[in-house]
Amino acid sequence: MRYRVAMDIGGTFTDVVAHDERSGEYLAAKAPTTPGDLAEGVFAALGRVVDEPGDISFFVHGTTQGLNALLERKGARTLLLTTAGMRDVYQIARGNRDRMFELHYRKPVPLVGRADTVEAGGRLDWRGNELHPLDEDAVRAAARRARAEGFDAVAVCFLFSYVNPAHELRAGEILAGELGEDTMVVLSHQVAPEWREYERTSSAVLEAYTGPVVRRYLSRIEKRFAERGLAVPVQVMQSSGGIVNAAFARRHPLQTLLSGPVGGTMGGVAAADLLGHRNAICVDMGGTSFDVSLVLNGRPNIANQGAADGFPVLMPLVDLHTIGAGGGSIAYAEAGGLRVGPESAGAMPGPACYGRGGTRPTVTDANVVLGRVDPDWFAGGHMSLDVDAAHRAVASLATELGMDRLDLAAGICDVANAKMAQAIRTLTVEHGLEPREFTLLAFGGAGPMHAVEIARELGVAEVVVPRFPGAFSAWGMLGTEVRRDLTRQFFTPGADLDREAMAAALAELEAACRSELAEQGVEAADCRVEHAVDMRYEGQDYTLTVPLRGADEPGDADFAAVVAARFAGLHERRYGHATPEAPVEFVTVRTTGLGGRPDAAARAYAPEGTEAEALAPVKSVTFGGRGYDTLVLRRERLAAGQFLAGPAVIVEATSTTVVPPDATVTVDDHGFLVIKIGAAA
Amino acid sequence: MSAPVDTVTTEIIRNALLQAAEDMNTTLIRSAYTPTIYEAKDCAVALLDREHHVLGQSSGLPIFLGNLEECTRDTERRYGADVWRSGDVWVLNDSYIGGTHLNDVTVFAPVFTEGEAPELIGFTASRAHWIDVGSKDPGGSMDSTSIHQEGLRMGPVKIYEGGEPCVLMHDLIARNVRFPHPTLGDMRAQVACARTGAKRMLEIVGRWGMDTVLAARDAIFTQTEALERAAIAALPDGVYEATGSLDNDGIELDRPLHVTVRVEIRGDRMTMDLTECADQATGPVNCGAAQAVGACRVGYKLLVSGEVPLNGGSFRPLEVLTRPGSMLAAVEPAACQYYYSHLGLVIDLVVCALAPAMPDRAAAASYGDSMIVQFTGLDPRNGRLFVSQEATVGGWGAWAAQDGESCLINNVNGSLRDMPVEVLETLFPVQVTQYAIRPDSGGAGRTRGGHGVVREYRFEADQDLSLWWERSVTPAWGLFGGADGAAPRVVLNPGRPDERHLLKANALPVRAGDVLRCESGGGGGYGPAAERDQDAVARDLAQGLVSAQGAARYAPAQG
Repeated sequence: MRYRVAMDIGGTFTDVVAHDERSGEYLAAKAPTTPGDLAEGVFAALGRVVDEPGDISFFVHGTTQGLNALLERKGARTLLLTTAGMRDVYQIARGNRDRMFELHYRKPVPLVGRADTVEAGGRLDWRGNELHPLDEDAVRAAARRARAEGFDAVAVCFLFSYVNPAHELRAGEILAGELGEDTMVVLSHQVAPEWREYERTSSAVLEAYTGPVVRRYLSRIEKRFAERGLAVPVQVMQSSGGIVNAAFARRHPLQTLLSGPVGGTMGGVAAADLLGHRNAICVDMGGTSFDVSLVLNGRPNIANQGAADGFPVLMPLVDLHTIGAGGGSIAYAEAGGLRVGPESAGAMPGPACYGRGGTRPTVTDANVVLGRVDPDWFAGGHMSLDVDAAHRAVASLATELGMDRLDLAAGICDVANAKMAQAIRTLTVEHGLEPREFTLLAFGGAGPMHAVEIARELGVAEVVVPRFPGAFSAWGMLGTEVRRDLTRQFFTPGADLDREAMAAALAELEAACRSELAEQGVEAADCRVEHAVDMRYEGQDYTLTVPLRGADEPGDADFAAVVAARFAGLHERRYGHATPEAPVEFVTVRTTGLGGRPDAAARAYAPEGTEAEALAPVKSVTFGGRGYDTLVLRRERLAAGQFLAGPAVIVEATSTTVVPPDATVTVDDHGFLVIKIGAAA
Repeated sequence: MSAPVDTVTTEIIRNALLQAAEDMNTTLIRSAYTPTIYEAKDCAVALLDREHHVLGQSSGLPIFLGNLEECTRDTERRYGADVWRSGDVWVLNDSYIGGTHLNDVTVFAPVFTEGEAPELIGFTASRAHWIDVGSKDPGGSMDSTSIHQEGLRMGPVKIYEGGEPCVLMHDLIARNVRFPHPTLGDMRAQVACARTGAKRMLEIVGRWGMDTVLAARDAIFTQTEALERAAIAALPDGVYEATGSLDNDGIELDRPLHVTVRVEIRGDRMTMDLTECADQATGPVNCGAAQAVGACRVGYKLLVSGEVPLNGGSFRPLEVLTRPGSMLAAVEPAACQYYYSHLGLVIDLVVCALAPAMPDRAAAASYGDSMIVQFTGLDPRNGRLFVSQEATVGGWGAWAAQDGESCLINNVNGSLRDMPVEVLETLFPVQVTQYAIRPDSGGAGRTRGGHGVVREYRFEADQDLSLWWERSVTPAWGLFGGADGAAPRVVLNPGRPDERHLLKANALPVRAGDVLRCESGGGGGYGPAAERDQDAVARDLAQGLVSAQGAARYAPAQG
């Protein structure tokens, strides 16, 4: 039992990072993802770092099983049961549109059709008082239909179940009794105990639609691991940036829906902690995507609501923003002007230099023309690049625009970097922070290539490229805690606040959190619980989540004034204004339980081979319109403490880091590349 | 007139200006009180140069595009070019300058360079809908006949001086509106938006210099104009026309108000002539010419060049003609509260007129207006005054390739979401007994119009009901042989002896236990119904979207 292992099962590759607890060393590897049976790819990747699964002391992974089922519309066949009169709430989907100049606008096609939605009588009022009893015969009829027609899952969403779940619970009992264990029954108040019936229905339907797929997958992977001798529970990453064991994930499969890229943000949290920074911008740039997330005050930036393929989900998740720019972004001319993206060449045909038939120049092609990509080392040498094709693609656009080829290549990168930087600035400013208060953490295949220029645009002085930038998501999972988020609707105008009731609600949530964490094997002493309340000014719709000192804080005699002031301060910081004398409302109370952070004592980073071997060939790379003799270095040969002045290109198996002439780079004790921008640095 | 600027710098500045305007918009929308701003996107922002030309703009509601600069221009005309002082912030809501109703308030501020000798480099401006400006009825009147009944009217006036709030002006506003905290909160959001804009503008000008920024701006607008001209030139020359009606002006309920849109395409230019429309009306359905122009621009962008980015060059090849004194170019003291009903109509008419020129892109008409349902009164549960105002979703028109969408918000409401039943019932003494698709309401056709919605309320307390429902005289028309969508219908106490059909009402008293059933219209169909794919008819039938009777409309032609 000596390895802690994390795995990120992506669409193309399965990345694995293992921490050898005896030597303190980290090991990383990857294998192609095997979509038919993921276990094949999983064990292929695992086999490259660990010989015996029995030696594994901890195993966590991120899975996109549920998300893939959703994206490919291969989820479970689901029957939806609603309150009488509300059958079409899920179809109407709040009636909004998000594109203004579209005459032909269509909403996402719902996962459950109108014909597969049935109503049951029974009605509660806004306080949860019963107006009409549940029509149990209608529920039984729904169960009979589900059985007769072979539905895999039933989602139940009744009005006001977040105040009083009695009708949903009774319907759940009847359905379970009639259908047995083979049919998954999802009750909306258990998935998302918050108001707004469409969003809660959507959350319940997503759980019903993806849940059976995730459950089957988890059972299979646990079985396969057990057969190979794994002696510890399989852990799963959640969308909220915490882990849970597979048994728990089977009961709450929706929590894993958006878990894939979250590991990167959690890696950002861990890396920022190692570096002693509070705020970090995490930039994950791959061939076709560019994801940005923030570490704020040492924590992942969590949103209380999100969306999956256009369908809302009411659950806490790491706030990840995907920006329409990446290595694959296409450059083109429009009315004599230069444009870059958002259209992407994707994986097929991909950039011209992939040699798969692409002829339009992309950001990656521009990097090739500038000499910033080593054609022999791309993707760790797994892929050789067609340098001529990149030159041809860029040259053809240069002719169209009447520009020099190298100027255009630099210009394509400049425009792409400026766009990414602006999108990042908007994100940080939303939190009332200027980008220069952040460190930029760059990972993914292409992130470290663009990071310094993006940072320069933002006025950020330091860029850090962690170890294993191409498998950073997996690395991030290794340091992640168990996490459980519980919420309860607590709507009340500030003037009517029952402080004792709020304290009691928080105490109940805390007890529930602690017991769920205990179930996950977290020692009581090791368990931290945090509380917060969503607030707004009377008349507003959106809320801000205001942290509380503890579950008993509402009991304080001056609580109303103190929390209103705290809310006003947050409002001022986030929005640039506040109205301290205006009345407030409380909407939802939130409790988060955390614990079981692994004690990962890493050995100080040591290079492979000698320093002399690190020095690789010199080649000409274009910066600022002129060619520089530039060192091309092998990352794994660089020693801790090594200092270099740019220009340099640092290559490794999964990524390339570009250090421009006016930047310097130091290898720190963790093996991270710490780049300082500005000649004076 | 300006220095040459290279292609790459131009593109970077273009993105920087776009993002600066987006950041302003985000600042405003995130912290606004009223859903009209943060969801209906009833707001717009702009960065202007010293000469009041647009540098960058962003808008939720496209009908506001390109007239914020009228506010800074008007101020300068009245008070002179040296009126601007660093740290001042101005406000204006006069309908005849801004073109909309008094609820739409523009906040604008000069931007000065920092340092010893501050220099005026331009302006920021934002327009946003305030929840209440003190009209004679809460939430805006359905029956006003003069702008003087519609609330506080402000010409250009300062709300901040030298960075300090003008407390007397704030007090004056607070005393004239029903909900002072939310209203002043939204005003502060607009001031925060102005600060964001000034900061971004100083960063951009500081980095590249004003001359380069202006040169890039000119190049950007020229590029856009070229794309727009190419899009128009691709359409066949000719004169195209369409006519439709508003039901009435809310006062004289039996007199429809006609609007004709005549579009002329000649080479790479387009003219939209709105002069043939009803005279300005007694009721509140008038707007300033600026908004009629805005509606034509939205129709144009929807149909002709939606993919070309919007900026100051977008509408150079498009001319709009209006007639002063008409409903679409009203003059003082015309009432303007419902200035947007005929804007939805104009947008549909532009698309209808141009359909013969663009048959593959044009869509049949949509259900057309916001279909406002408003409840006001005293909530017996807590003794507080309440105002609930909802817009209602409905059906959109079919087009060549696809059915129209069902239960979707109308064009001039941005991305407004419906009010969740659980939130509505918690906040107001009313219960929703049904919220459902209205089967058979979409116009039949080769492709089918989208369906309207049924929303049925039961009042839990005595209160006042106001309605502004439109487009029953010319319901959503079909195109190329497609049938019209079903007209809207609102019934008070259906099936009871006191049953009553109505579409407009101003503060009508209703009692606890009364039932209000609202059915919005469907979209128009496209092409002959007999040509519809029978599998599609069977699917609609299976989903209950058309009844057996409704499906009969799609019977294939005999012989």
